[in-house]
Amino acid sequence: MDIKVLIDYLPLYKEALLLTLKIGWLGILAALVIGIAGAAILHFKIPVLKQIFGVYIEIFRNTPLLVQLFFIYFALPKIGIKISAEMCGVLGLGLLGGAYMIETFRSGLESIAKIQTESALSLGMTKGQVLVHIILPQALSISVPGILANLIFLLKETSVFSTISLMDLMFTAKDLIGMYAKTIECLFMLVVFYLIMLLPVSIIGSIIERRVRYAEFGD
Amino acid sequence: MQSLGIDVLFKGTNMLRLLQGLWVSVAISLISVAFSIVLGFIVGVLMTSENKIIKAILRVYLEIVRIMPQMVLLFIVYFGTTRVFGWNLSAEVSAIIVFIFWGTAEMGDLVRGSLKSIPVIQYESAKALGLNNFQVYFHIIVPQTIRRLIPLSINLITRMVKTTSLVMMIGIVEVLKVAQQIIEANRKASPNAAFGVFLVVFILYFLICWPVSRLAKILEKRWA
Amino acid sequence: MKNNWLKKLLATVATVALAGSFLVGCDSAGGSTDNTSGVKYRTLDEIKASGKINIGVFSDKSPFGYVDENGKYAGYDVYFAEKIGEDLGVEINYVSTEAANRIEYLQTGKVDIILANFTVTPERAEEVDFALPYMNVALGVVSPSDAVITSLDEIGADDEVIVISGTTAETYLTKNYPNIKLQKYDAYAQAKTAFENRNGVAWANDNTEVIAFAIENEGYTVGIPSLGDQDTIAPAVTKGNETLLKWLNDEIVAIGADNFFHADYEATLLDTYGSDYEDELVVESGIVK
Repeated sequence: MDIKVLIDYLPLYKEALLLTLKIGWLGILAALVIGIAGAAILHFKIPVLKQIFGVYIEIFRNTPLLVQLFFIYFALPKIGIKISAEMCGVLGLGLLGGAYMIETFRSGLESIAKIQTESALSLGMTKGQVLVHIILPQALSISVPGILANLIFLLKETSVFSTISLMDLMFTAKDLIGMYAKTIECLFMLVVFYLIMLLPVSIIGSIIERRVRYAEFGD
Repeated sequence: MQSLGIDVLFKGTNMLRLLQGLWVSVAISLISVAFSIVLGFIVGVLMTSENKIIKAILRVYLEIVRIMPQMVLLFIVYFGTTRVFGWNLSAEVSAIIVFIFWGTAEMGDLVRGSLKSIPVIQYESAKALGLNNFQVYFHIIVPQTIRRLIPLSINLITRMVKTTSLVMMIGIVEVLKVAQQIIEANRKASPNAAFGVFLVVFILYFLICWPVSRLAKILEKRWA
Repeated sequence: MKNNWLKKLLATVATVALAGSFLVGCDSAGGSTDNTSGVKYRTLDEIKASGKINIGVFSDKSPFGYVDENGKYAGYDVYFAEKIGEDLGVEINYVSTEAANRIEYLQTGKVDIILANFTVTPERAEEVDFALPYMNVALGVVSPSDAVITSLDEIGADDEVIVISGTTAETYLTKNYPNIKLQKYDAYAQAKTAFENRNGVAWANDNTEVIAFAIENEGYTVGIPSLGDQDTIAPAVTKGNETLLKWLNDEIVAIGADNFFHADYEATLLDTYGSDYEDELVVESGIVK
């Protein structure tokens, strides 16, 4: 392996990491918002919206992100809906992630025993108070390992952004290989940068998961 | 009114080729899932082991699978191995290797999960009844685990199928690549082909994955 | 407690990094001197004996290499590939390639010949061996007719120019116009669709390709018909594959005597370019005028 090549390429990979993170986090933020809203809608069985979200979840959980992105980025402009590549990345990741986050939050919500709601209500709290003070905090903390798993999954999925011209880590590696044919160096850097990005999240994830499991023992 | 380009698919053998492309993805997934289930069982049982070395190795393995995007693994196996070891793997074989590598870890984790979910008391009672270790596994534990595992493994199939959309990146001519070829060959006659063709690809993926994941859900509810 | 946690984190980072680097890194011992250790190729005799030759072509670059509606490969490059198969007496296995993979495919022995509109450049010649050329090429830039770009200086700071990853257009612009923002795609089909969708102000590529695009699609003008050096396009083989290279060179010289590439042009490119470009594009027997 040629160390000089590694050093030469470093700034390009750094830039790519920043882009991946930027789009990744925006997409994940969108996914969280969709996730919480959708979980609440499904949990409280709000008519019409419930059906819409049901269909949305099925569509986005049963098609690959790559195909979703192709459709949003290449096909929709043909009927007059044009979105920039970055926006498309955020949107695609947000919609895909949202479909997964809803399930995660919902199982969190459902795991809170009914009795808690009833006791809180009998103590004179309003429904809104019960939701904000009793159910959400618990539901969210139970969902944390699931959220982190989704987070890793979504950050990994950013690798398909390369197909819609976003210069993420994957594209940078592919592009450099195509231009200068330093395959081994490029792939090595790619692996290292994904480790830098995801290993900490993964480790924090498993630590929290263990904690939550301990917490569940009292149940 | 310009056409939305769906008509392109009825020219020549275009639709047939698109379906053949889809079959390539599905075939790769099915082969990979079959291997992953078998290997996943072994890995899953190993994961319950108390041996420190086995634990450490599996930990690293799982961590790699968890962190590395499948596309990165595809590139490493397809291009990297030839560079480093001189192996000349075809794109299809590389893809299957990567998906088995990934699927085995997923499956292993599921197997571990369901093995752990069987209360210790069952092992103990079975032993107290005079069954040996082997009998305990085969008559008591495995039947219960398999029930829990079937829906989860079916889910793995849909995830595999979805992930195989990436194999286009290492030059396998599957449904997305065929879609691009069709769009390109008909650019002049039908400039909006991108809409129709990608819409159909989107629908095809959904039609494959949706029934399978429904089935998984139904089984999960019934056997839970 | 906290210390313990940190230790674990570091240990895992170290193990995984090690395992990861093992996969890609362990060549550094054997391959650092030169990269031929991983380079594999099949000699002419081995190809003949196997009865099959692997030729890398584009499958989405009409009219040079594409797949027609019946699933058959066609185009200027493919016409030549067919002739190679015929004269070698072997079957052809077409491998669909993207621009950025071409060198990689040769160096890893996944194809025997690349016939994917491969422009000869000094950088590429270090990685692969080019045979005699069969086509002339330069770079060109096409843009929508209502906003034609006739000089690269017209491109604004926020405008993006579409290129295909791994092409000479990309290398040229990266090197000579580092301030121009590039929007890169893997595949021709994607780049063209994005260009039609107006995701970039212009598309820079081989001039043959952009001229063809402007002729075939209404509303586009090639504002910059020739940019950079006059280059040629040639078949390429894996570095060191002398038997195959020699055979290819002999073949190109021999079929040039019958004006093979003019026939190729007339069969595959005439519909697109008309006859005006025939003598400009075609190179016979490897002799560039």
